[in-house]
Formats: sequence, structure tokens, C-alpha cells
Amino acid sequence: MNLTTRTAPLLAPVAALALTTLVMLATGVDPFLAYPALVRGAVGEGNLEYTVAAYVPVLGMALAFAIPLRTGELNLGGDGQLALGGVAAAAAALLVPLPPVLAVVFPLVVAALAGGLLAWVAAPLRARLGIPVIVTTLLLSPPGVALASYLARFPLAERGTGLAQTPVLPDASHLPALGESGYLTPALPVVALLTALWLYADAGTALGYEIRATGANREFARYGGVGVARLGAVTLATGGAVAGLVGGLVVLGPPYRFVDGALVAPGYTFTAIAAVLLATGRPVLVPFTSALLTVLQAGGQGMEREAGVPSQLTQIVQGLIIVIVAVLALARRRTAKKRPGGVTP
Amino acid sequence: MPAVELVGITKRFGDVVANDGIDLSIETGEIHAVVGENGAGKSTLMSVMYGVHQPDAGHVLRDGVRLRMRSPADAIAAGLGMVHQRLRLFPGLTVAENVVIGAEPTRRGVLDTAAASREVERLGELYGLRADPAARVGTLPVGVRQRVEILRALYRRARVLILDEPTAVLTPGEAARLFEVLRGVTGEGVSVVLVTHKLGEVLAASNRVTVLRGGRVTGRFATAETTAQELVVAMIGRSLAPRPLAPPGERAAGPYLLEVENVRVRGGEGPARVGGVSFGVRRGEIVGIAGVAGSGQRELLDVVTGLRTPDEGRVLLAGAPVRRGRDPRVAYVPEDRPGRATAPTMSLADNLLMGGQRERRFSRAAVRERARALVERFGVRAASLDEPISVLSGGNAQKAVLARELSGDRPLVVVEEPTQGVDVGAQEQIHALLAQARDEGRAVLLQSSELSELRALADRILVMFEGAIVAELSAEEAGEDRLGAAMTGAAG
Repeated sequence: MNLTTRTAPLLAPVAALALTTLVMLATGVDPFLAYPALVRGAVGEGNLEYTVAAYVPVLGMALAFAIPLRTGELNLGGDGQLALGGVAAAAAALLVPLPPVLAVVFPLVVAALAGGLLAWVAAPLRARLGIPVIVTTLLLSPPGVALASYLARFPLAERGTGLAQTPVLPDASHLPALGESGYLTPALPVVALLTALWLYADAGTALGYEIRATGANREFARYGGVGVARLGAVTLATGGAVAGLVGGLVVLGPPYRFVDGALVAPGYTFTAIAAVLLATGRPVLVPFTSALLTVLQAGGQGMEREAGVPSQLTQIVQGLIIVIVAVLALARRRTAKKRPGGVTP
Repeated sequence: MPAVELVGITKRFGDVVANDGIDLSIETGEIHAVVGENGAGKSTLMSVMYGVHQPDAGHVLRDGVRLRMRSPADAIAAGLGMVHQRLRLFPGLTVAENVVIGAEPTRRGVLDTAAASREVERLGELYGLRADPAARVGTLPVGVRQRVEILRALYRRARVLILDEPTAVLTPGEAARLFEVLRGVTGEGVSVVLVTHKLGEVLAASNRVTVLRGGRVTGRFATAETTAQELVVAMIGRSLAPRPLAPPGERAAGPYLLEVENVRVRGGEGPARVGGVSFGVRRGEIVGIAGVAGSGQRELLDVVTGLRTPDEGRVLLAGAPVRRGRDPRVAYVPEDRPGRATAPTMSLADNLLMGGQRERRFSRAAVRERARALVERFGVRAASLDEPISVLSGGNAQKAVLARELSGDRPLVVVEEPTQGVDVGAQEQIHALLAQARDEGRAVLLQSSELSELRALADRILVMFEGAIVAELSAEEAGEDRLGAAMTGAAG
């Protein structure tokens, strides 16, 4: 039974690529043309920096999903938390002028609070009324996105342009560039640091242990005196705060404004969920699976340009990966059930 | 000719033989009680009769004709009806709708509500089962809901009714009315199979009794010619002579360490799960709790350990109330090993940690060090500390749980079914650990369905029945007959 768990992160992408190759052949695309184009599109000249920039929100959103998942709660509301965080950061930067460093820190804090609050709402609804977190977070996401959209179109809109975006934020709130292209900002080290912190907390602290125990067996944790409801709320709020922070980091980077739809359209949230599922419960793999899926996505656009293959094909790969991971998990459960001992006469 | 006859039914689940060559014949118009302890194979046998399980050997005859049953639908077609312990009704629909569901009378393709109501009234009249056809089921008391289930079976022309522990959710008054109904139904030539472990009901309501133990028939009686005593012996058997593993401690004296005062726990529906229970446990004694499963032991122990807040009453430990959530002064070994006592997918080391994660500075090394010490001290045999605990044998997993719970300095030890699913060698070690805990001056509360275990270890035994303590016996008084009689609610 361990075989499938151990190999799933490797097996699923390989099998998904094999199936995708079949799809390519069936639709008359030459894989020998398409795959090199995909790789060049992701890491080729001039593209690498862009791919790394896209990695930041994917990894961040992976944290937003993975942190509550460790207690067994599914946060599917990443989009709403992300958009709300983004617009909150923009509003804070525009409405509260501050001296240089504070002008960055304050909007990011506001962004994290906004995202965290939206995610946290699911916790009392579960504890008091028994509504599953997966439902609440998913259903609260579109209102979050819509609220952000409304704010960007009306109260915070740039006057005279008619575009659904805020004005450019004050200079003091711009994240400095970390390279020539300007794509890279301190967002990368911030998210990397958060990831490292999470990995440390998960494996090396009592809190991380209690979170893992809650996710592994809620009743076991409750029996051990762990406040399972409180932990669920804390991890949900933390996940939401990370999502909000990611939104803030994107908005404070180029083009230094909140553009309606720009945070949600690239589909960071669900790419990140796929990455976390692919890691099959091993947190240390999350940065790598996130990188893999980011490369696939960024490369997909290059593939479209060079080989004329629709970039949607990479979404097929992503979808197949999730399906295969799910099938492997199911197969594992089936084999586990067959063993004697679990039967009540 | 019997209405239903089961011939040589054998049913295995993996290595467990739930039914072993059981013969059972139900005559037309009789109430036939099937009794036995939990795990005796009653439910499996009923599932076979009702087509839920296919037997590995043997077959079912209906009016002398052999039935081919692939699912309950075949059983229903053959005139069998089942009333489950947990009622399967739609609370939002009316009584009439619940009764006719699956075989609705229609007029031009639309449900004929009037005809459904008439049918419910007709059946009610015929069998003495009164229920308002227009009432919503969700608003009715449990006893009436159960009548709706019976009506549903009769509406589908059931000639044999199987009732699985029908009084488990009923108050005594409702139970009495149920038996009146059953007598009325048999008067119309319907046969009733009554599955229960309450001997009082058996003696009061049935015509004949079949007793199961360990998947086999251990007794067949005509109710009029038997006694509770005889049934108890057939149910629990004559086990080995008591062999005190550890001589009872010096008769413990002094104040109670644990004081349970008038604790009451109400369930979701039905009667109270625990009704006004009071007792005490001193340091240096083992107090046993006996009772048929579901007599309120689980709920009572949840209150004692602080996992559940009682609706009334209180629990004091060394004079101070037990802390809610989990009191660190209580060592607790739950019965449900995969569900509560362990997290099966977590490593042995992580499982040994629970409760102690905040005692010292947390580090991977410290967690492993603690685990290694416990494994050594308690003789847990495991290939690795990092393997999931689910790969351990039942005995070793249980020793790991005991190691975790007994290692600290916790004055009260609460243990449920400590040797369930545990091999004989580990059983002795576990018993020795419990005796040692007592000799160290801890107070031990031991719940077990193994009477020999209670007799070997406990200084006093409290017997629970229907949420109350109905008897308190000293180790010397607690013969299996007296224990068994008290457990089944027959005169204690």
C-alpha cells in the first residue's frame, strides 16, 4: 500500500504526460515539436524570469490550501481571498499615505487580514452549524471576487479611463525590482520564507504536531485534549491570510495597481490545489510540485506560440494529474480495506 | 410447516466466523426471540435472512421453498419485512407517504394520497397499529415512528417481520405498547422474529427462544418452560474457573479519589443514556463496570474522562471537578483503538506522544527519544518507530496505548475493553500492567465485557443496565450467573 503513496508524485505526472501525448497524436500534433517548445516557453531565454514570477503566487496559494488541509479542512475559496487581499492592499496604499517602508508593510498587513477574515468565516459555521468548510469557502469565494471587482470599478476606480482598475499606487508602496526585467520582486523571498516557516512548524513544533494529529484523526486529537475546532479556525484564517498576502504582493508589484480579474484569471488557486494534491500529504514536496505545474503552465503559452498547440492542453495535463492522484488514493484505500481486521461481524 | 427456515447458515468475514452452521425455524404466527450477547452473530443471521448478506453455506426456506436471495428486494418479494434498529424513514414526509414509498398507489400516474391514507387506516385497524396518516414523521415520537416502519413492512405484504433490537430506543411504556402490537400482528398469522439481548422482554413476549453464542446455537427453548437463569447460562456460557491474576489488593480504604455524583446524560432521541449514576473509586482499587454493550458505559466513561459534559451531576477528582476536554490527571485507554486511541496513519512515535507534546521543548529527536523509552519499558514490539501504528499487531498497538497513558503520573486510570482484539500473551501483560497501576496506589476504573477479566482484576464490580447501576458486587460475590442476570435486567 505504501507503493502508491510513495510513487504518486512521480507516477501521476508521467502517466498524465503519456496520456497527453496520446491526445497530441490523436489531434495530429507532433510531440517532438510540442514538448521542446513547452520547455523553451518555460525556461528558455527571457522566459525564465517570467516563470519564476508566476511561481510566487502559485506557491503562495499552495500554502493557502495546504495549511488548513493539514487539519483536514479544504479551503477552496482561494480566489476570493486572493482578490479581496489584492484590493484591500490597493485601497490601503491609496487611502493611507505612509513613509517608504511602512507604505509597503501596512497594505500587506491589511491584505492578509482581509483574506484571513474571509477564510475564517467558514470555521464558526462549521463548528456551530455543521456546514462543511469545503462548501462555505467555495461559496464565499465568488462574493469575495465580486466585492473586489466592485471596489475596483467604482469607489477606487481610476477616473477618466473607464478601465476596471485602480490608479497606480504611490511610489512609496511599490515593491522594488530584484532583477532587470522588473518581474521579480521581494515577493519571492517573502513567500519562500513563509514556506520555510510552515515546513518547520509542521514538522518541528507541538502546534504542527497537533495540527497533523487533527488531520489524521480528529477524534484522536480531541481525545488527546487538542482544541480541534480552534485549530481548524486558526489554520483556515492563516491559509486565508496567506492568500490575501499573495494578492497584496502581486498588487504592489508591476503594474503597481489592482486590475480587475488579473489575480483570478491565471487560475493560480486551482493550479496550487493540484500541486498540493500531487504532493500527497508530504509538505516538503509542495514547493517542487508547485514548480512543476508552474513550468507546465508557463510553457503552455510558449508551446502555443511556437508549435501552434493550444495552451489548454497543459490544463488537460493538470486535470489528468489530479484524476490520477485521486485514482491512486482510491486504489490504496481499497487494498487497505481488504486486509483482515477491519470487519465487524 | 415453518414460515421461514434457515438451514446450516455459515457466514464468514475474513477470518471471523460470524455464523457457524446455524439452524433456525420460525413457525407461522409465533414470536420467536433470538438472543445473545454482542458479537454472538444475531445481526449477521438476520442480514442473511433478509438477503443483505449471502451465506457461505446453508440456505433459506420460505414455506418450504428454497429462496434465491441476491438482495433485500428478493426477501421483500418473498414476504419478509425488516424493522431496523435505526429507523429508516423520511422525517419530512407524512406517515402515509412513508408507508407506501416504493410501491405507491397511483391514479393516472400521480400519487393517490387518499388511497394511501385509506390503506394506512385499514392496516392500522386490522393490526391495531394506530397512526395518523397525515402526520409528518419528523414530529412523531420514536415509538410511533417505529409503528410506521412496521406498517410499511405490512403494507408490502410481509408475513414475517424481523425486528432488530426494537426496544433499544423506546421508553418502557412504548416498549409495552410495541409488544401489544406484536401480539396483535401474530394473531393475524404474521410471524415475528425478535432480536434482543433483554431477557425480560424475551420472557414476557416470546413463544420460543433461540440463543446464540460465538456464532453457534447454544440453546432452544419454549419460553413457557424456561427461566432467566437457564437463558443466561446459554448466553454467556460457563467460562473457565476464575483465576485471579493478581490477588485483590488490601481492601482499599480512605476517601474516594474519583467521585461521580448523580450523572445524567441524555441521548439524541429515546430515553436517557445515563440516568442519575453515582459511585466512587478509591486509590489502590480496581472498580469494574459490567453491562451489555450500549447500557450507558461509553457515555458514563466519556463524562468521567471529561470528554463529554453531563446534562446533570458532576465528577470530582481529588475534590476538584474534572477538566473539560481532557483532564491531564486521567489516564484513559479507549475501546475504539483505530477511531479514538490512535491515529492509524501516524507513526508509532507520533502516537506515543499525544498528550505529552507540550510537556517539554518539542523536537523530532525528543519525540523519538520519548517513544524509544516507552517502547522499551512496556515491551512494545515494533520494527520501527516511524512506521504507521496500524502495522502493529492488536496486542502491540494496545500496549503502546497503555504505555502512553500509564507513563505519566496520573492518579486515575480509566480503561475500556483493554484486551479486545489482543492475543493471549499480550492479555496477560496488560492485566499485569493494570494490577501494577493499582498497586502503585492509582484508582482504576475498568470497563469490560469479558466477565472473566472483571472477576480476575476488579475488587468491586458495578453492573449497568439501561443507563443505571443496577448492582454492585464484590469480587467474591460476582459469579457469572449473578453478573449475567444483572446485566440482562433480570432480577439482580
